[in-house]
Amino acid sequence: MQSSGQAVLKPTAPNEGLLDVAQMATGVALILFMWSHMMLVASVNLGSGVMNAIGAFLEDHYLAQLGGPAVALLFLIHFALAARKIPFRPKEQANMWEHSLRLQHTDTWLWVVQAFTGMAILVMGCVHMWTVLTNLPITAGKSAFRIQGGWWLLFYMVLLPTVELHVGIGLYRIGVKWGFVTRAQRSYVKSLENRVTLAFIVVGALTLITFYFIITAVPKP
Amino acid sequence: MERALKFNIFRYNAMDPRSVPQMQTFYLDETDSMTLFIALNRIREEQDPSLQFDFCCRAGICGSCAMLINGRPDLACHTKTKDLPAEITLMPLPVFKLIGDLSVDTGTWFRAMNETVQSWIHTDRTFDPKATEERMSNEEAEAIYELERCIECGCCVAACGKANMRPDFMGAVAFNRIARFITDPRDKRTMKEYFDVVGTEEGIFGCLGLLGCEDICPKHLPLQDQLGMLRRKMGWTAVRHLFDGLLGKTA
Amino acid sequence: METITTDLLCIGAGLAGERVAVEAAARGFETICLSIVPPRRSHSSAAQGGMQASLGNCIKGEGDNPDVHFADTVKGSDWGCDQEVARLFAETAPIAVREMAHWGVPWNRVVPGKSTYFKAGKEFEKIELPEKEGLITARDFGGTAKWRTCYTSDGTGHTLLFTMDNEVVRLGVTVHDRVEAVRLIHDGETCMGAVARCLRTGALRVYLAKATLIATGGYGRLYRETTNAVINDGSGTILALDTGIVPLGNMEAVQFHPTGIVPTNILVTEGCRGDGGTLKDVNGERFMDKYEPAKQELASRDVVSRWMMHHIRQGLGVKSAYGDHLWLDIRHLGEHHIKTKLREVEEICNSFLGVDPITQMIPVRPAQHYSMGGVRTNKDGAAYGLKGLFAAGEAACWDMHGLNRLGGNSLAETIVAGKIVGEKIADFLEGYEVHFKSACIREAVKHHQEREDRLIRGKDGRENVFVLRTVMQDVLMDKVGIFRNGEDLQKAVDGLQIIYERTAKIGLRSSGVGANPELALALRFPGMARLALCVAAGALARTESRGCHAREDYPERNDRDWLKRTLATWKEGDSLPTLTYEPNSKVWELPPGDRGYGVCKIISSEDPVVCGIEKPLPDSIE
Repeated sequence: MQSSGQAVLKPTAPNEGLLDVAQMATGVALILFMWSHMMLVASVNLGSGVMNAIGAFLEDHYLAQLGGPAVALLFLIHFALAARKIPFRPKEQANMWEHSLRLQHTDTWLWVVQAFTGMAILVMGCVHMWTVLTNLPITAGKSAFRIQGGWWLLFYMVLLPTVELHVGIGLYRIGVKWGFVTRAQRSYVKSLENRVTLAFIVVGALTLITFYFIITAVPKP
Repeated sequence: MERALKFNIFRYNAMDPRSVPQMQTFYLDETDSMTLFIALNRIREEQDPSLQFDFCCRAGICGSCAMLINGRPDLACHTKTKDLPAEITLMPLPVFKLIGDLSVDTGTWFRAMNETVQSWIHTDRTFDPKATEERMSNEEAEAIYELERCIECGCCVAACGKANMRPDFMGAVAFNRIARFITDPRDKRTMKEYFDVVGTEEGIFGCLGLLGCEDICPKHLPLQDQLGMLRRKMGWTAVRHLFDGLLGKTA
Repeated sequence: METITTDLLCIGAGLAGERVAVEAAARGFETICLSIVPPRRSHSSAAQGGMQASLGNCIKGEGDNPDVHFADTVKGSDWGCDQEVARLFAETAPIAVREMAHWGVPWNRVVPGKSTYFKAGKEFEKIELPEKEGLITARDFGGTAKWRTCYTSDGTGHTLLFTMDNEVVRLGVTVHDRVEAVRLIHDGETCMGAVARCLRTGALRVYLAKATLIATGGYGRLYRETTNAVINDGSGTILALDTGIVPLGNMEAVQFHPTGIVPTNILVTEGCRGDGGTLKDVNGERFMDKYEPAKQELASRDVVSRWMMHHIRQGLGVKSAYGDHLWLDIRHLGEHHIKTKLREVEEICNSFLGVDPITQMIPVRPAQHYSMGGVRTNKDGAAYGLKGLFAAGEAACWDMHGLNRLGGNSLAETIVAGKIVGEKIADFLEGYEVHFKSACIREAVKHHQEREDRLIRGKDGRENVFVLRTVMQDVLMDKVGIFRNGEDLQKAVDGLQIIYERTAKIGLRSSGVGANPELALALRFPGMARLALCVAAGALARTESRGCHAREDYPERNDRDWLKRTLATWKEGDSLPTLTYEPNSKVWELPPGDRGYGVCKIISSEDPVVCGIEKPLPDSIE
């Protein structure tokens, strides 16, 4: 206050708006991808033949060779966009942390989770993508070989819930942020989202078990 | 059942060179229907007359007495001690400039906010004292009032993760105000003009969607829905602006 | 010392102060508002029910016009008002309401077609006209012949204040919040501004102004049980009284609102009864229909409050730990009505009582609510005795309320008086020059500085200001309340004089450094005690019953001797106010008569002008 009168407005460039729309769009695209991805990988639970057939299909139609890098690009773009929101200055981080501890508010904690999982996924996702995309086609045997190696099992046991939490929270937040989910629907959508996330983690865990115990490992050719 | 209440209260008097920020403990016996308004006034009158805090209407209408009550922003006047544990920690609202103890400078902040969002009806019409009023449907009037109920207490800002990280963030109160004018048929601003006010990182696109505002608002304003509506409208404006630019139209 | 110069200094930034500021700023004058709280926290925001203006849009207000509004206001005042001002007010109110709509107030509007409403607990039907669709509607309030109270749900004061402050922001009017004016700067003839204390730092500042406006609201916090905000302690009224020149008008005229909740005295709006709510006693039975067959719950506030106290004295109140109370019943209005038209009431009942008004009755008892008295001004808002000093709103005695204000007329007064007084101040400022005399400035600063120093050093004594305040509030509450009598009033005056003497010995228990709340109260309190003495002495001297001033030992309204306004001034060094009187109205458009509600024992006036037999000579009175 005590400022003398009216703010002078500069016309605003639409950049922030476009970047925000892009963040949502890449987020939604990645969520859809992650869901499909899980479906495809989980197909191994129906037998390694099913998964191998899908892998071959992707390979034959160049979906893996082109789609893979495209997803990786999308992934990096989404990170770049979303990283604008993550505090990198220590003062901001401290403020946010203190605020979260003080407020004890679920959705605020969810964002903290999202920020941490986002950073983790950046690293682990790159490792995962590099490993898989440099060794096409995707087959059940190759995946099983990796997982039965031990360290990779641990890797995926961390990556699975990290990704599913990030995806679940991200979808919920897009819903409330953009007003697709209203006040009246929020608690329902939130509990639905929790159940979906849990379901994906369970399916993912079953898939890991399948890879570890059931599928015959085929080493790299 | 009478409880002995323990109050941990933040103390700092910036005008006193000997004062250092610290927590001070006070004890009070709880009485029937005790609110924090009653408790704090008793502490001031009976124990420490220098204790600074703000109350005005003491009826949940004026928004003066927002503070952190066991970490959560709320109006002290309508907070009953029986709804709290026996140990109560009171801190001033974050984000706002501290005046002393529990008192923060919301006046300066809100004046600046009202200037930034240009919180008034923008119209070319001039008032004609002889004319009948412009008509408006009662539903429109009620929809505006629903958003006009904001008392500028500052709880939504204090509960906002973004505002805690970035003090230049406009906050839910500003977005709700913009929504109030978008709802009002008397305001002739275009979406582009609103966009110039809130279509920024300090504005609606900086909102992280944590909904601390929605969950804490003491007046239960529909902030989630307004923020969502505003983000959609502003996002759409940005996209349209892009396409207009690509097609060579002037925005 | 920081010195700030401006054309107009508005002390107080509630509705009246800001409306004046907007008018002056729109005319191009530099304006600064001082406010002890951020302006949107002013107590104007707490007015719930509405604002009276005779638009006559809704079917139950059909045929309404300023004449009817004028007559209701005069009757409400018990013929104690200035009829010229009441007329001016009633004529301007519709314009003021429409102007607020133009600025953005979301008034509730007429919905055409059939709907039901409650009156005195019974359901009726009304049909709103299609040609009135979308115009500003109104609700019923006490003491009115028509439905005239324009509203936005039950947050009318809030929307008005926010809209008004929007105008203040738009026009770039400077507001210095958390600043309290502590002394007017004047030379006995002209007011030149005020010395003010910053409530953030405790520092003193000088504001020099060509025109100074007092708009600080009422003095309800002189009473123990009041609906008023904690800031309503008459600080602006004290400034005027401390000049020793400017008189306060009708300070004994203090209104009690029928429905303060028990125990916190928070107001629930008259709109509850206006919309059909009823008052009930310990047996769950209505009583207002027996005492006031015509208006029932919707007689004027003074009348309803008295009958409630009478009923409690009959032993028909509900016993509680906080004393006897009665019930307000709005359950029959239904959930939809309460959740849309009375939502603030619902919230207050839930938050502060733990009562759900949809299914439970609300415990209520009359509580101090409004100060009809204040800084006496002429019809232009100019204070008596000091050039360049003005007052508006509840702080002023303009005087359209006389001895009792009607519900819905206070919000209306702030806007209407603000508009009119603002225009007059702008006219006054055109071409007006003032010499800011350094001796007067120095004297005012020194006077205040010395008080502050003495308090901080604790040289005068060890009296506890909080204790003194409580004692004073008890005296006024118990002896200058709804029913008054000579014996109690004399005790009140005596008791308050002792308290006033003790104020000279106040000493701080804290350091007084910075924005110290104890120091702020200690500086203000002697003035509050002087105001309390003005109230009690005025009430003791007024040997009649009129409006809210009900003397058990003088039950008649005495038009023969008391068509007068009390004027209180305070000479430096005195321990009592000096009371003088003036005729309360120059014109008698509506000669004194029966109000149509309340007990009516009248000693008639024999003045031919008052009785409407003769026209007044121009400026023959005064």
